[in-house]
Amino acid sequence: MQLDALDKELMCSGHVGCPGCGATIAMRFVLKALGEKTVMVLPACCWSVIAGPFPQSSLKIPVIHTAFETGGATASGVRAALDMKGDKETTVITWAGDGGTFDIGFQALSGAVERNEDFIYACYDNEAYMNTGIQRSSSTPYGAWTTTTTGADWKKLRKKNIVEALVAHRIPYAATANIAFPEDLIRKVKKAKAIKGSKFLHIYASCPTGWRIPSEMSIKIARMAVQTNIFPLYEVENGVNYTINYKPREYLVREYFKLQGRFRHLKDTDLDQIQEMVNEDWALLLRKAGEHA
Amino acid sequence: MKKVLEGSHAVAEAVRLARVQVISAYPITPQTHIVEILSDYVTTGKMVAKYLRVESEHSCMAALIGAQSSGVRTFTATSSQGLALMHELLHWASGARLPIVMAEVNRALAPGWNIWNDQTDSLAQRDTGWMQFYCEDGQEVLDTTIQAYRLAEIVNLPAMVVLDAFYLSHTYEPVDVPEQDEVDRFLPPYKPAFILDTKHPYSLSPLVTPNAYMEMRYDIAMAMDDALEQFDRVEEEFAKIFDRRYGAVEAIDCDDADIVIVTSGTVTSTGRLLLEELRPRGEKVGVLKIKLFRPFPVEAVRRALGKAKKVVVVDRNFSFGASGIFAQEVRAAICNVPGHPPIFGYIAGLGGRDITVKLLEEIYFDVKGSSAPRKESIWVGLQEVNRAT
Amino acid sequence: METELSLKKNLYMARTSVTTESNKTGSWRFLRPKYEEKTSPCSTACPAGEDIARIEMLITQGAFKEAWETILRENPLPGVCGRVCYHPCEGRCNRREFDTSIAVHTMERFLADTAARNETKPALERLPPKGKRVAIIGSGPAGLSAAWFLNMLGYDSEIFEAMPEAGGLLRWGIPAYRLPATVLSNEVARLESQGVRIRVGEAVTASRFEELKTSYDAVFLGCGYWRNRALNIPGEPGQGVEDGMSFLRQLRQGAKPDVTGVSAVIGGGNTAIDVARSIIRLGGRAVIIYRRRREDMPAFDEEIESALEEGAELRELLAPVQIAAIGSDCILTVQQMKVEGLDRDGRGKIVTAGTSLVEISVQRVFVATGTTAVEAWHEPPPAAEAGDQHNASVHLYLSHCTLQQEQQGTPIIYGGDLTNTDKNVTQAIASGKQAAMALDTLFQSGADAVRERLSACLVGEGPSLSMEIYMNGPRKERKPHIVSYQEINTDYFQFEPRVIQPRLLIEERTSSFDEIELKISANTAMREAGRCFNCGICNNCDNCYLFCPDVCILRGRDMTERHIDYDYCKGCGLCVVECPRNAMTLGEEEKL
Repeated sequence: MQLDALDKELMCSGHVGCPGCGATIAMRFVLKALGEKTVMVLPACCWSVIAGPFPQSSLKIPVIHTAFETGGATASGVRAALDMKGDKETTVITWAGDGGTFDIGFQALSGAVERNEDFIYACYDNEAYMNTGIQRSSSTPYGAWTTTTTGADWKKLRKKNIVEALVAHRIPYAATANIAFPEDLIRKVKKAKAIKGSKFLHIYASCPTGWRIPSEMSIKIARMAVQTNIFPLYEVENGVNYTINYKPREYLVREYFKLQGRFRHLKDTDLDQIQEMVNEDWALLLRKAGEHA
Repeated sequence: MKKVLEGSHAVAEAVRLARVQVISAYPITPQTHIVEILSDYVTTGKMVAKYLRVESEHSCMAALIGAQSSGVRTFTATSSQGLALMHELLHWASGARLPIVMAEVNRALAPGWNIWNDQTDSLAQRDTGWMQFYCEDGQEVLDTTIQAYRLAEIVNLPAMVVLDAFYLSHTYEPVDVPEQDEVDRFLPPYKPAFILDTKHPYSLSPLVTPNAYMEMRYDIAMAMDDALEQFDRVEEEFAKIFDRRYGAVEAIDCDDADIVIVTSGTVTSTGRLLLEELRPRGEKVGVLKIKLFRPFPVEAVRRALGKAKKVVVVDRNFSFGASGIFAQEVRAAICNVPGHPPIFGYIAGLGGRDITVKLLEEIYFDVKGSSAPRKESIWVGLQEVNRAT
Repeated sequence: METELSLKKNLYMARTSVTTESNKTGSWRFLRPKYEEKTSPCSTACPAGEDIARIEMLITQGAFKEAWETILRENPLPGVCGRVCYHPCEGRCNRREFDTSIAVHTMERFLADTAARNETKPALERLPPKGKRVAIIGSGPAGLSAAWFLNMLGYDSEIFEAMPEAGGLLRWGIPAYRLPATVLSNEVARLESQGVRIRVGEAVTASRFEELKTSYDAVFLGCGYWRNRALNIPGEPGQGVEDGMSFLRQLRQGAKPDVTGVSAVIGGGNTAIDVARSIIRLGGRAVIIYRRRREDMPAFDEEIESALEEGAELRELLAPVQIAAIGSDCILTVQQMKVEGLDRDGRGKIVTAGTSLVEISVQRVFVATGTTAVEAWHEPPPAAEAGDQHNASVHLYLSHCTLQQEQQGTPIIYGGDLTNTDKNVTQAIASGKQAAMALDTLFQSGADAVRERLSACLVGEGPSLSMEIYMNGPRKERKPHIVSYQEINTDYFQFEPRVIQPRLLIEERTSSFDEIELKISANTAMREAGRCFNCGICNNCDNCYLFCPDVCILRGRDMTERHIDYDYCKGCGLCVVECPRNAMTLGEEEKL
C-alpha cells in the first residue's frame, strides 16, 4: 500500500503507548496527511501520556496539552490567534479521545462547531476511558465489559452516534475513518484540511489493553469493525450529503465480538440482538445516503 | 480625555487601548456591559481583534489559553458562577505561565441566586496562581487593566482586575481615558516568552512527573514574589507618563491612627467618607486600602499597621468555618511581628447589602469600646429572621 | 528602566525540549518479529523449482528482464515451458482457494516472448571455469538444461545431437501449434550465445560413447526414448499401421502425409493426443482408442479437452486385439473393457467385459502407446536392492537422474526420460539441473557429499531443486516452510478474474499448424501477476512500515531494504499479522 502522504515521520519512536496501540497508528497517519504546518490541541486522553513526559515529546509538531473538556475551545483560541497573526496556512487540529469528545468535551466541541471554527476535530475512539483504566464512556458499545460495567452489569446501552450529533450541527465535513484503512483515512484528513470551517473525524482506534485482545490483532479487529458494519466508513458534507465509502461483505458481527475479551460474556441471543441493532443502523445509514441495501 | 464612564466601560476602554487581539467571553450579570461594549468595538473596527462568543466560561478560558499560547494578547471578563466554572482553567493558565488578563466583577455565589456585590467569588480563587487587583473606582479600573498587561507579561502570570458589582461596574464617573500613543509608550507589543510554533515545535503543558513538578511550582512562587517588586516599577513607569499611582496598598491617615480600618474595593471610598466624618471629631482613625491581594503585600501591610493599636478588617466575603478572608491574610501578615495589634474581623455587605458610612462608624466605635476581639468574625447588620418558615 | 522591566527569566515550566527517542522501548519486548521469507507452494510444485512468487512480483513492478532472468536461473527454456509445461504450479496456487489460480504459464511465456522480441541478453551469475569438460548426449530439454547449468557452474560441455537440428523431442515430437519452431530455435540460439556448444548431426554409437568416456571428465546421457512401444497384436506391423512418434517427426520435417478418411489413434498419452490433433489439421478424422477411461489418460487434461473441441473422438475402455488390412482400409478389432476394483497403483482395475469383440473400420491406425530407449546401453543401471553404492564404484539413484562411476572411472550420469518417472519437458529440465549439481559436487567434494549437498538445495520440501540456492544466491535465505492459504491475510486482496489467454478460433485451429495460444499485452501480464499473493516473499507492500505503532520499521534509500529497529520495537506483532503474505515471523524473544 503506498500512501499519498508525507514520507517524513512526525511521530517519534520511544513513546510509551501500549504495544499495538491503535491510537498511535491513527496519530501517525493523521500527521503524515497534515504535514508539519500543524498545531495540535491535546486534551486529556491516552495521548497525554503517549506524547511523552516532560521534557520529552514524541511529536514533532507544536502541541498544546489542555484540560479534558476543552478540545473544541482551546483550538478555537489557537485558531483565533493564528488568524490575528495572519497565519492562514497552519492547520489546527484537536486530538481527543472518546471520553473527551463524546462526554466531557462535548459541549466545547458543540460550541466550536456551532461557531464553525476553522479547525479539525479528530476523535480517536477506543470506546472507553482507557488512560484511567478502562471505564465506560458514552462511546462504549452495547455489550462491553469495562471496569465500571462488570459482570452482569455489562453495558446495555447503545454507543452514542457522535457523527450524527455533529451532522446535526450542519458541520461542513464529518467523516468516520479507521486505522485499518489508511488510504481512506489519509484522503479524509487531506479533504478536511482543505475545507474551511469545522471538520470532524471519528477515527476508530483499537485498544489491545482495554479490549482484551492480543496486540497483533489491533488492525485485524479494526478492519472487522468495518467489514461487519459495526463501524461503517462514510462522510457527510454540510450535514446533508452522505457518501458511504466502503460497502462491506457483511460479515457477521459475532466474528468481531468473539475475538475480544471485553465481549466474552455475551450469549448467542445477545449477539443476535446486536446483529439486529447493527443491521438497523446500517439500513438507516443507507437510507440517509440514498442507497439501497 | 475625561469622559463620564461606567466602570464596565472603563475596563473596555483599557482593553481597547491595550491592543488586545483575542477576546473571549460568555455573558453573566453584572459583567455583561464590559463584553457588550467590546463586541461592539470589534464589530465596528474600533478594535482589531477576534472575538470568540463561546458557549461557557470554561471554554472561554480554554480559548484564551489556546490563543495566548499562540502568541497574542487576550482578555475576558466574568463574574461569580462564571469564575467558579473557570476554576480548573485558572490553575491551568498560571501553570502554563500565560499572562492572560481578566476583569472579574465581584458578585455573590448561588444559591440563592444573587447578582449583587460580594467578594467571595474572586477570593475563592486566591490559590489559583493569578494576581488579583481590587479596584476602588473607574479610573483605577482603567489604569490597573493596562498595568496588569504590563506586569503579567513581565512575570508570565495571569492577572485578575477585580471590581465590585454595580457599585463600580455600573456606576458612572469621570474617567481620564488616555491617548493610544501614550498607552503604546507604556505597554509595548506583546513579546511572548514561548509560543506554539511550527518552525520550532515543542509541546506545552505535557505530563510532568514528581521529579520536575515541584520545581515548576517553585518557579511560579518566585514569579509571584517578583511580581510584588515589579508592581512598584510598573506603577512608577505608569506614573511617569500618566501621573497617577495607587500602590499595592494605600495607607490613609494611618500614621497617627490608633485604629486602622482595612478595606478593599469600593468600601475604601466609604472609608474615606468615614475619615471625613470622624477625624474632625478627634478620632484617631485611619484606613488601609488593600489593592494588591495576590501577591499579598506583606511588608507594606506590616509597615502601614505598625503604629496602630487596633486593626479592623471589614470583609465583604466569608470563608465558612474560618473568617473573613482579608482578615485572615492580614492576621497572617502581621502575626510574626512582635507586639502586633489585635485584629478585629467584621463581616458586612454580603450579597450586595450596602456598607454605609454609618455602618463603618458603628464598627469603629464597637472596636474602640472593646479591649479585645469578642470573636474572630463579627457579622454586622444581621436582621432577625423567622426560621420557622 | 525599559530593559529592566522587560527582563525575562528563563522559565522553568512544562515545555518539551527533546524527543522520546531516548526511551529504548525495545526492552518491553518479549516477542520478536523478523523478516523471514518462506517458500511458495507453486515453486515447490514446479519441477524446475522456479521462484514463481518473485517472478510474479517482478512482473507486477514491470521488471520484465529481471523476472525473465529469475526464471533462467532455474530453467533455461521459459519460451518452451511457457507453452508446453503442464504447469503443476497452478494446481498448488494458494489463490485457488480465494478465486482462481494465477496464470503462471501465461506469465512465463509472456516474459520469454518479451525477451525474445527485445533480443534481451540475460546477465546471470556464473562461477569461474573449473577446467573440466562434460560430454552431453542428446540436445533435448534434459541435455540443454544440463549444458546450461554446467556452464553456470564453470564447466565446458559439448552436446552431441544425432539429428541435424537441436531440440530433441521439443523439435521432433511436439507439433508446431503447441510449440512453434522459431520459439525453440530462439531459445537454443540464446543458449549457444551464452556458451552452450551443440554438435548436430553427430550420433553417438556405443563405441563413440566409450571414446567420450576417455576424452571427457564426465558424460551426461539425455538421449530420451524414441523407440515406439509395439502393441504386439496380430497385424502389427502391417499395412496402414503407423508409429505415432515417426508421424509427428515427419510433420516437423515438413512432410504433409495424406490422412484422408478416419484414423484410429491408439493410446492415452500426450503423443496420442498430438497425433490426433495433427490428423485433424491435415484434414482427416481421428478416433482415439484408449483401453482405460479418460480420467486415467496420462495426457494433460487441457490437451485432451482441446482435442475434443477440435473434433477428435474419444472411445474409452477399448483394448486393441487385432488389425487387419482390407483393401486400403483397416479393420481394428477391439475388446470391450470394464473397471472392476482397484489395481496396485490405486487406479481402477481394467478387465475384459465379456467376450464380445467390436470391429472398427478405419483408413489407418496410429500406435502411440509409449516409447522406450533406442539402445540398451542408454538405460541406466538397474537400481540395486541396497540402494546407493559408494565403494569402489558409485551408483547414486537421485530423484531425476542416476549417477554411475565404475572404479574411479569417468562418471556417467543418466537423465531426462531415461530416468524420470514422469516423462515430460519440465521434469527433463529438472534432471539436467540435478545432473549439473551432482557432477559439480562429485568433482568438488566427492560422491559421498552429493546427496547432502542436493538436499540443502531443495525448494521447500523438494523434490524440486534450486540452482540459485546451490550457488548461494539470496534465495538461500528462504525458509523451507511452505506458505499455506490460511497464512495469507486475504483482507488485502480482492476478487479478480484470472486472465483469459486469447486463442485461435476452432476453425482457425483445425485448418493450420499455427500456434493456438496468442500473446497477451504487458498491461494484462502486469494485472495478472498483480493477483499473485507472492506467498512468503516481501514485495515491498509496506504494510509492516505503515502499521508499526512505534515507527521502528526502517527503510533503505531505495525503499526496498527494510529492517526492524529493535531499540524501539515493543514486539506487538502487528507487522507480522498484517504482512499479507507471511514474509515475516514472530518468535520468542531470547531470554536475557
